[in-house]
Amino acid sequence: MKHQTPVSTGHKFVDTGFIIILAIAFISATLVWIQKGQNVFWTILVENIQFGLALLPKIICGVFLACVIPLMLPREKVQRWIGPESGFRGLWAAALAGIAIPGGPSVTLPLAGGLMIAGADLAAGITMVTAWALLSVNRTLIWEMSFLPPHLVLLRVGMTFAVPVMLGWMVRRLQLGQERAP
Amino acid sequence: MSILIGSVLLWAASLTIARKLWIEDREVLREALRRMVSTSVFIIPRVAVGLIGSGFLAELLPQDNIAMLFGKEAGYMGVMLASLFGPLTPGGPFVAFAIGAAALKAGASEAALIGYVTSWSLLCLNRDLVYELPVLGARFMRLRWLLALPVPFIIGALAMLLT
Repeated sequence: MKHQTPVSTGHKFVDTGFIIILAIAFISATLVWIQKGQNVFWTILVENIQFGLALLPKIICGVFLACVIPLMLPREKVQRWIGPESGFRGLWAAALAGIAIPGGPSVTLPLAGGLMIAGADLAAGITMVTAWALLSVNRTLIWEMSFLPPHLVLLRVGMTFAVPVMLGWMVRRLQLGQERAP
Repeated sequence: MSILIGSVLLWAASLTIARKLWIEDREVLREALRRMVSTSVFIIPRVAVGLIGSGFLAELLPQDNIAMLFGKEAGYMGVMLASLFGPLTPGGPFVAFAIGAAALKAGASEAALIGYVTSWSLLCLNRDLVYELPVLGARFMRLRWLLALPVPFIIGALAMLLT
């Protein structure tokens, strides 16, 4: 399978999400100009441009890491490790794969589906999708770190790190219960 | 200051990997850099617009209301309310994080922000109806949603204790 770029290049440069934030920015800026006056408008604009410039090196680093990690990852091994008999080790492998998957939902969810057809169980699938949703390296490094204070990002990642494996484990317990039920 | 620490850590990791690849496999390094450029072209305009927009939005948000609804004084109710808004947020990650950053600037508590980001990432309604339901099926989505539903409320409560 071909390596995916962190942000699928099939994405349009201007898409719905970009239009939404452009609209929010434009409307908010206009309202600030009208309600609070020109001075406040320029202060906020300059402040945020300075902040953005300070962030820029971090963003570029995050993008580099997000691009280089999947190139160095042994994909075939990851897939071999997520079998239904894989126990906790398999669930952790599924979680780590989910964290490392560099794509958006259009890449990740079909990949999880494909892995489940190829032999991963429902628990591994749910673990992988949950890990990607909660902890995706790509999104955390590029987006979350860019917008939110790093100590909060670290706290959130630390608190949710075990959640994907816990959900997968619960799925396996539920399935066991169903098999035992008369 | 925290930006500086984050930058230093990220640069250290990047330079270590880049040096390793420069010695071992320049082809991979070249490919990574090529992807870095094309990805940056996609991302930097979004972060820029998101940052500036969230700056203006924070100025407009009624600070008293945000602080009242999601601030420290709102306690766990604020965390719960913030967690309920997560799945309803439309658009990509920059929309959710820009909203979160704006609310934080306007006085929302850190625990409420963590509840919001957790519920948005776990249970994004827009994303799951568009991708998860058709690709992985109703059983998968139902089971995952059911199991994940309590998580933001628990994480938000933990965050209240830790922040």
